[in-house]
Amino acid sequence: MMHSAPAPFRSAAPAQPALIHNSEGNVHLRQEQGSIDHGVTEAPYERRFSPYDFNGGTTVAVSGADYAIVAADTRLSSGYEILSRNVSKLHPLTEHCVLGSAGCKTDVDQLRSVLDIKMNVYSHDHRKPMATPSAAQMLSNTLYYKRFFPYYSFNVLGGIDAQGKGAVYSYDAIGSYERTPYSASGSGQSYLIPLLDNVVGHKNRMDEKRELGAEEVVEILKDAFVTAGERDIYTGDSLEIMIIKKDGIQKQTFALKAD
Amino acid sequence: MSIMQYNGAAMIAMAGKNCVGIAADRRLGIQYQTVAMDFQKVFQMTPTLYVGLAGLATDVQTLKNLLEFRISLYELREERTMSPQVFLHLLSALLYEKRFGPYFCEPIVAGLTPEGKPVLGGMDLIGATVITDDFVVSGNCTENLHGMCETLYKPDMEPDALFETISQALLASVDRDALTGWGGVVHIITTEGVTTKELKGRMD
Repeated sequence: MMHSAPAPFRSAAPAQPALIHNSEGNVHLRQEQGSIDHGVTEAPYERRFSPYDFNGGTTVAVSGADYAIVAADTRLSSGYEILSRNVSKLHPLTEHCVLGSAGCKTDVDQLRSVLDIKMNVYSHDHRKPMATPSAAQMLSNTLYYKRFFPYYSFNVLGGIDAQGKGAVYSYDAIGSYERTPYSASGSGQSYLIPLLDNVVGHKNRMDEKRELGAEEVVEILKDAFVTAGERDIYTGDSLEIMIIKKDGIQKQTFALKAD
Repeated sequence: MSIMQYNGAAMIAMAGKNCVGIAADRRLGIQYQTVAMDFQKVFQMTPTLYVGLAGLATDVQTLKNLLEFRISLYELREERTMSPQVFLHLLSALLYEKRFGPYFCEPIVAGLTPEGKPVLGGMDLIGATVITDDFVVSGNCTENLHGMCETLYKPDMEPDALFETISQALLASVDRDALTGWGGVVHIITTEGVTTKELKGRMD
């Protein structure tokens, strides 16, 4: 490396080439006298294409004695832009089982496609629709198949199990799953989970725990999504709720703030 | 590893009808290791003014001493108690003085004006202030705290209801965060005086 002797005291910038440290190593750049950026804008640095985008949104599932409720907002975003105010994050897999997914929309769509195909094959081979715990296991396996290039999809599964009781399963992006009384995932999950702990899970409370009915849980979820809509920029526009009972799935929609 | 997540803290200040409440957890940790379960993060500045300091523990303690010093100096010179609005400006100025080498602390302030009206304010680490009339939160699990406060808050709560609300909001939020918890302390400030209660929570 050539180092020229320091220039006589003429300008603020030294005559030595600017030394830039970056992931490619150290680079000496010759710059104009008096240049103020010291080479920062000209140094080479690694640019990467990211295969993932984050499209935002929040999904929640709550189980009860004979029902499961899955809810999600309907906003699709990318960065600070809203791409759509009316895209569903909920996908019925069977008459008794609904998948809610937030994350990267394209991965969510592909995951749903793959699951639908597998459900059809199962129902063709076994001559009955897949039970909810089996669907939960299948989703886990499907996600783990792509362990080293994951589906960027944060899922909650809600449905009625073989005994007619409500069942909710929470997942991470690579298929780790667990049956839980309630679950929330997506950009607004942190706003909602402590509330569900307190109101549905009855944690840190001294009053007597009681069973909640489906209508009560719907009201709780409406409040919860209003909160998430206030504090999370990716959540809002409208709320879609699916109530799963023994006799099928009932859908409801409520408006949220559009800001 | 962020410097603001080194020690762990969670705090809420909430307004009621002619009263304010301020609550914080009690954990002091060094990253994942818990070191103390009785660490004080909320300090009384005047009989009707409390400040909660969330962030790096050394800065919490330094700021506490600095603020007590400045309050004493003010009371010596002015011969009157410092009002919450003046305190907010003082704290903001103190933090901005260190603009390019800040105190790693994000305070919340809860107080009552001499007429008994609630004053609530929160600040970032370089003194940008927000003044609200419902609640302010600070610490590691602000998302959890915001979610709980936004849902549970009602305007014009009496001191007893305010205590219940602020306690439930704090306990539910810290239970979902590894760096906060190990109990809590709540102060409810009214014109009559201050009631302080300890919260029993999950000790993990």
